[in-house]
Amino acid sequence: MQNTVGKSQVMADHTVTVSRLEEVVSTADEFDRVVSQALPVLLDRATGYTKRFLRETGQWNDDIEHEKFALRWGSEYLERFLVCGRTEVPCRPLFLFDSLVAKQHSKPEPFCYHPDLLRPLGRFLDGLVARAVVSRDALIALYHHSYGWGPGEVIAATGLNGLESQRIYKNFRRWRDSGWQRTMDEMGLTKAELAELSSQQQRHRQRFNSEGERLIRVAQAHYRKSEPDHYPCLSRSQWREMFTQGYGCDYRIWHLALCLDCVQTAWGVGSNGSLTEEKPRLELQVRP
Amino acid sequence: MGYEEELEAYRSQRLESLSNQPSRSVRGGSDPIQVYVNERRVGELEGVGVDATLHVKNLEHIETIQLRTEDGILLGGLVAPEYGYRTSRIQVSSDAVELCVHNTAQGGALNAAFVPAPSYWSRTWKALADVADRLAIRRPDTAIAHSMRTVAFTQALLAILVVGLVVDRMTIWMNPERMLVSVGQSEALRTVSVTEMEKLEHQLGELARIQEKVGTALETQQKGMAQLHQTMAKLSSSHESVASSVVMVKEEMEKRQEGIGSETERATKPPAGRGLVDQDQLELAVRNLVEDNAKLSREVASLEERNVTLAAQVQTARMTASKAEDPNPERLLASQEDVERKNQPLRVAEGLQSSQKQPFLFWVTFSEGTSQESIDQWVHEKRGHKGAVNEGWQEVRIVPPAVPPDLFLEQIRGEKIVKAARIRE
Repeated sequence: MQNTVGKSQVMADHTVTVSRLEEVVSTADEFDRVVSQALPVLLDRATGYTKRFLRETGQWNDDIEHEKFALRWGSEYLERFLVCGRTEVPCRPLFLFDSLVAKQHSKPEPFCYHPDLLRPLGRFLDGLVARAVVSRDALIALYHHSYGWGPGEVIAATGLNGLESQRIYKNFRRWRDSGWQRTMDEMGLTKAELAELSSQQQRHRQRFNSEGERLIRVAQAHYRKSEPDHYPCLSRSQWREMFTQGYGCDYRIWHLALCLDCVQTAWGVGSNGSLTEEKPRLELQVRP
Repeated sequence: MGYEEELEAYRSQRLESLSNQPSRSVRGGSDPIQVYVNERRVGELEGVGVDATLHVKNLEHIETIQLRTEDGILLGGLVAPEYGYRTSRIQVSSDAVELCVHNTAQGGALNAAFVPAPSYWSRTWKALADVADRLAIRRPDTAIAHSMRTVAFTQALLAILVVGLVVDRMTIWMNPERMLVSVGQSEALRTVSVTEMEKLEHQLGELARIQEKVGTALETQQKGMAQLHQTMAKLSSSHESVASSVVMVKEEMEKRQEGIGSETERATKPPAGRGLVDQDQLELAVRNLVEDNAKLSREVASLEERNVTLAAQVQTARMTASKAEDPNPERLLASQEDVERKNQPLRVAEGLQSSQKQPFLFWVTFSEGTSQESIDQWVHEKRGHKGAVNEGWQEVRIVPPAVPPDLFLEQIRGEKIVKAARIRE
């Protein structure tokens, strides 16, 4: 009986919240207030839309991995809505939110979906590469997680100058302090899953790395589309010219972090002997 | 942990993360702000207390703009309109970023400007200036008046502080006994007063420096105003010259349109109201028109020449034919006229041809003792016929000679029976 009353109350609250979201808000502050009170409703709504999209495109399975994937993207859409929606006032928040999600789902590949990327190792790599697209800290940390490099090696491999070098050390520090944990939380990786990944890295290094290379290529192929579109793969001579002339600092940092092949191609062209002769191989690191 | 619990934990963690939006306060003071257009990174704004700007031109429409920290936290964003402008000021800690996005059919453009928070001194200064604004009399030039009021207020403040300092010093010098009486406290007081003095001096120094800065800023502002005026003057003069050029071109066009037929008029008349933008096109059209006219004139001239040549050839041919068929010059002339009438297209160079159609008339006197018979025979030889006789001069009409008249007369004069010859009576 009590349970039924509780459920009825929740339903009533939900209805009130939705009807409030359907009304016009006139100012950014009003938008913040109304939306912040309706976050669970909006998150469930966005998650529901994402699930429907996955079902309709034949990418859905009834398991926790898919549920987490839908939740992750639902929260991603909601975050963008919270920030951008307040510039759209006056508006009806619910309709604006629906249109934003619909716009995302009308893109050719709204998110990076691959069944193997829903498993712990896949989610770990997907999380790292996805974060690298929006965070310079994660981008620089990708060199560490892919090859085990520290700041010095990253600076040497990308041929950076003094000023940029300082930034690399900062990126590393911030990633260790908070970035890595935030990313793992966003991907829904539990402590147990991370411990299992570390264990696999120790015990079955070769298999772990080869599986990692296969999955990271899938993720990189998707997310590299998000780097500036004038950053294509280059030949060794083009890389050499860029390194020796000292231009394209951003190009080097962004592209090389997101392209395993170009790291091989450009290896050593601007290092002046500070790097080893042997080309780098993927050596996945779980911890920052 | 079961399936449901794990999922619920993840959902709660996501909700918590969303409700604790750290966005507006997490950015480090000197960290650049990453700018994303349509979820692609396009550049960064330096956030080190200077006014940094970023201009992005996109071939595609701009849909979204996002500002993120180096660790990827979303600081703010904007959804761009399909067409037209949208501006937004996004607060980032105490600083702000001003975004202006413009979408057109050709693509989108974004202007982002970092606006640092005003420093302590600039805030204080603003407050003082506001007070001064309230006290001072308003003048028409508000920008200069504002600066002048600020300077005046600063100077007054500086003067008060200097007077206070001098009074303080004088008090100490005028009461040395008091200083001696309180020997026990003197050391401490001296320390305090020296400290205060140092503080005051420091503040005075600060004020002097600020005053200097204000002076410099005022000077720069005045220079800027002067430059602005110059630029405005240049702009207006260039505008005038452009406008006058347009008027000239229009006049020229009208003149030409009057001279040329209606078809040409249609071809060259510019669409009404196109204004300055079409000036170049108008000039080009005028030039083309002039060239076309010149070409047409050349063609007409060449046609006329060709007609003359053709007419001469026809004439020669007729004469040859007449010679062969009919020796009678009168019939020849009559038949010539007849042919002329029939041959209308050859009348292009009418004046020239008419001189050739009429018989050649000249006057001649014969040597004394020349018989009338000899004269008649000579006239016959010339295929002419005699006209009136006036004061010894005999009028003779012949078929126009093939040689020029002067040369013809010279030839006649050289003949035995001819004494003199002339064209005019």
